[in-house]
Amino acid sequence: MTRRSAHASTNQMLERTRDMGLKTIFDRYDAQQPQCGFGMQGVCCQLCSHGPCRITPKSPRAICGATADTIVARNFLKLEVHGAAAYSHHLEEVAKTLKATAEGKTPFTIGDEGKLKEVCKAVGIKGNSTKELAIALSDVILNELRKGSDDPLALVKIFAPKTRLEAWEKLGLIPGGVHSEIRDALTKTMSNITTDPVDLLLTTLRLAIATGYMGLVGTITLQDILLGTPQISEANADLGEIDPKKVNILAHGHVPLMATAVLQAAQTPEMIKLAKAAGAEGIDVLGSMCTGQELLQRSGHSAKGMGAQMGNWLAQEYIVATGAIDLVMMDMNCSIPGLKEVADRFHTELVSVDSILRMAGVDKNVDYAPEKAAEQAKELITMAIETYKKRGNDIVIPKNKAKGVVGFGVESILGALGGSLDPLLDVIKKGLIKGAVAVVGCTNNRNGHDSAGLQLMEELIKKDILVISAGCMSSAAQIEGMQDPVSAAKAGPGLRAVCEKLSIPPVLSFGSCVDIGRIGVLVTALADALNVDPSQLPVAASAPEYLEQKAVADGVFAVAFGLLTHLGPVPPVTGSPLVTQILTQDVEGLTGGKVLVELDMVKAADAIEAHIMTKRQGLGI
Amino acid sequence: MRKEVMIDASKCNGCLSCTVACSAAHIPSGDPLEALLTGEPSRIAVYSVHGKAVPITCRHCDEPACVNACMAGAMQKNAESGRVKNENTGHDCIGCWMCVMACPYGVINQREKEGRSVAVKCDGCVGRSVPACVESCPNGALTYGPVNEYAETKQRQAAASQVA
Amino acid sequence: MKYVIIGSSAAGSSAVETLRKLDKESTITVISEEANLRPYSRCLLSDYIAGEIEEDGLAFKSADFFEKHNVETIFSVRAVRIDGEAKEVHLSNNEKVPYDKLLLATGSVNFVPPIKGVDSKGVFGLRSLEEARQIRNYTQKVRRALVLGGGLVGCETAYALYRTGIEVTVVEMASRLLPVQMDERASEILKSDMECEGIRVITGIGVQEIIPTGFWARLFGKPGKGVQLTNGERLKADMIVLAAGTRPAVGLLQEHNPGIQINHGILVNKKMETTYPDIYAAGDVAESIDTLTGKRSLSPIWPNAIIQGKVAASCMAGRPVDLAQQIAMQNACEFREVPTISIGQVEATEKEDQVLETYRPQERIYRKIVLRHGKVRGLLFMGDIRGAGLIGSLIRTQRDVTSIKELLLHPEISWAHVADQ
Repeated sequence: MTRRSAHASTNQMLERTRDMGLKTIFDRYDAQQPQCGFGMQGVCCQLCSHGPCRITPKSPRAICGATADTIVARNFLKLEVHGAAAYSHHLEEVAKTLKATAEGKTPFTIGDEGKLKEVCKAVGIKGNSTKELAIALSDVILNELRKGSDDPLALVKIFAPKTRLEAWEKLGLIPGGVHSEIRDALTKTMSNITTDPVDLLLTTLRLAIATGYMGLVGTITLQDILLGTPQISEANADLGEIDPKKVNILAHGHVPLMATAVLQAAQTPEMIKLAKAAGAEGIDVLGSMCTGQELLQRSGHSAKGMGAQMGNWLAQEYIVATGAIDLVMMDMNCSIPGLKEVADRFHTELVSVDSILRMAGVDKNVDYAPEKAAEQAKELITMAIETYKKRGNDIVIPKNKAKGVVGFGVESILGALGGSLDPLLDVIKKGLIKGAVAVVGCTNNRNGHDSAGLQLMEELIKKDILVISAGCMSSAAQIEGMQDPVSAAKAGPGLRAVCEKLSIPPVLSFGSCVDIGRIGVLVTALADALNVDPSQLPVAASAPEYLEQKAVADGVFAVAFGLLTHLGPVPPVTGSPLVTQILTQDVEGLTGGKVLVELDMVKAADAIEAHIMTKRQGLGI
Repeated sequence: MRKEVMIDASKCNGCLSCTVACSAAHIPSGDPLEALLTGEPSRIAVYSVHGKAVPITCRHCDEPACVNACMAGAMQKNAESGRVKNENTGHDCIGCWMCVMACPYGVINQREKEGRSVAVKCDGCVGRSVPACVESCPNGALTYGPVNEYAETKQRQAAASQVA
Repeated sequence: MKYVIIGSSAAGSSAVETLRKLDKESTITVISEEANLRPYSRCLLSDYIAGEIEEDGLAFKSADFFEKHNVETIFSVRAVRIDGEAKEVHLSNNEKVPYDKLLLATGSVNFVPPIKGVDSKGVFGLRSLEEARQIRNYTQKVRRALVLGGGLVGCETAYALYRTGIEVTVVEMASRLLPVQMDERASEILKSDMECEGIRVITGIGVQEIIPTGFWARLFGKPGKGVQLTNGERLKADMIVLAAGTRPAVGLLQEHNPGIQINHGILVNKKMETTYPDIYAAGDVAESIDTLTGKRSLSPIWPNAIIQGKVAASCMAGRPVDLAQQIAMQNACEFREVPTISIGQVEATEKEDQVLETYRPQERIYRKIVLRHGKVRGLLFMGDIRGAGLIGSLIRTQRDVTSIKELLLHPEISWAHVADQ
């Protein structure tokens, strides 16, 4: 009942909303307590009209006869299907945009021709020009999304480590076209089709592999080709960065396409003139959540002129509650229904920029279409300027500001290390850095908004374990200065020395949540360099505050990839001892990865360290 | 032997079935959906106590502070059943909230009824052989049975130390 | 054994119930100067004036209450004297009622301020059903009313008169409304709420004189009647209700006192015994020890009167018990659909007092708790009264709440949080 955010700026805004009589996510969280134990355990089924059924000591089976094992596994797969679908929507948007860009129909230009050629070569696409290659690659990806589930995904074959392929083939986990995999999985979860919990769980692995190589790796690869591969650059964060004299547009969501177009258009004399005519000093495009991270890591090229990162998922209402945001452009997922109530209290306009997003009460939609993006960007900016004119005086901007370094990824790390991963491998072999943990995924009220995530990061770096962040956890670290190289002082002596030598922070920002794919690419590169399987590396993944279904897909992918995957909130599977045992123990025998559920972040860090030390021992380092 | 609702909070998993059943039992149709739609309040509450679900309802005290506080005479303890209630007692609740102020267990709430604000609390499900909340509990957290001596003493002590 | 009880309201009637429960045989006599036959709730008289309840609704006991408890009633007669040696109560009709144990549950009387004109027509007190009847009748034929006093009774009466459709002005001599039950902010909220409804509130100014019809015309050359305020302002008012506070009803002891000690009220010990043998006192007339301050205090509130009546009766019937912890100041009220509960000390008075508060004007919520050395001293909940009973019990028991301090203001705090602490 006294939960707070880990961030001072969020807490200040929370108090402000409370004083205004506005109910926000912390209040709604309180109002939902206590939450139903059956739902928490995943043993509630609402599929048919006999339901809802739930498994209790006096009713161990649903009306249809389904056991807790079936219901839990089925519910879990359904969660993952949502995540897989959303990721494939993202990829489709990017592929279509790449194609339209190659055809000269969008305001974008190809951002990384080298990567385009490299990928085309790997995929086996031949062509003479950038245009030809980009069109052909887009077509291949779109076809990969749509083809049948019996036709193995090309990207898996090309990008997955060989050892992984062997393991997956043995289990029949090489997926086909993503949409077909989603169809199959969803069909299986219908009442009275697949009730075998083991098959349902294997399906989650298969769907996760499809998601990992298409929705994650595929998406980041095409985004890099289109918008440029991230480069190491400085970034600013937190609400103190809001300039109340500017027209402020919040780019919120995950898909950075419309946001990039808006950011570029906002810097044209035409738009600046319009803003000035309205009495503003200029236009700022501010980042929120993963769209913000995407812009931030490309602020050296396609997202030049990007304002600061405001915060992550949980902060959205509080960003608007400053009263200084004129327009929120919401793409794809993670715009919470409660945002509208806060926006209505101020002048803030909410606009969907994705045809799949329709928020109750929002009637302005500018659905992104690659061919129209230039005009749509101007339309959005004009709307923001019109709204700016209605802005009241009720503005409170917290003082908090933070600095950090962003834009890490395999390419930028190679660049920084002089073209080879050897220096990194050397410090790992020497034990200066014991290993690396990807602290990724969402943020969560249950864990006190970033409190668990930040605590875990601090515990890990103290143990000389390098942290790689992505998604909402990146924003969490940015705002608390953990991506500032000075925070190396908080690391153990080994990691600290490495960070200070390279002038890097102990928490490396890999970008948005889809950039978990970028982490996969790094792990693959490390495994290749050492000629081992990813499951043998001294690495782990953690989603200490995982929240929604995309994170379920990410987590299962990490398990399929062979990684120890720590989760903070308990996933809704504990109602089935069988599913729990498979996910936390037995799956290790199949993929090398497994789920570790630990709510105490000190203990979690200890367990992860123990895992890393075992792997180091296995490698003889 | 008088029967009481016994609560074993360790078995409660916060499913709120008891609250739905309670609301349903207090409308004529007894239909849970209708109870939810019409906003019929529940007279048992499940609180989150440091994340643990804990059901709390009226203990029908031996020396009820709410009865002492009621200046309309609506809140009464029935000598035979031992139930403490403020409905159909021959006196209407006038919504003065003295009982809300007096009850040390915080189990009396406010509701709108026929255009007036009145106090609402557990009536012990008069007329049912087993209270609706107990009947609906899938976890055995709520049971209904004779008060054993230990519990009765405990209850009385607790009540005596809090009342007045 | 002969039990005699003077007064038939909260303390008197609860004493009747307890006596009869403990002693089925002895005679119980209740003496009341009022003519009613059924205990009624004075606290509800304002609702009666407003026309929201009828006389039946005032009753808090059944119509056969006295019959059922086998009580001899002497109504419409005043007790005028107590002869302690002879153990007799003398009545206004010259009869004498012998007693073995006597309970004084005479309650309180309306305080009539020494203002010129208070005895003129159209000026009322509001203490008895009879007065309420007169007011209710009178409201039918008037346009403007003035309530003298902005305490609980004054405010309730003002709202009640307002609900009958007449114009109302409240005049309170203190700087704010409900100075005992509320702090400054809460008083201000109440005042602005009243003003929103169209009730005029004048604070910090007293009434100089009540000017009756005729005299007003002579003075001011116009028909009408009303009051002159201490600041010189004249207000027209067709009726005036005096709500300037109450005083313990000790008139019976003024001329002949067998030796019962009186401070503000009749002094009693934990057994509700007065300083004179076999005479007890309970309710508004009694002065007992307040748990919070440890000092003697009147506690003119309903629940305390009920409990004191029970304790007195139990002691009278030879089953001595002690009065448990009581807080003199506790009140629940609701004005303009904003419920308010205040218990104990609602303001920080000492350096070490700590105040926790939530003030959300948009939601019309104000919640405040006063702590001292880790224990709750008082609460003031306005708009959202959830948790008031629980926190109230923490005040009465003076339990240490340091470890749950963060939760105290939360409306969802439960008994389990306290038990779990």
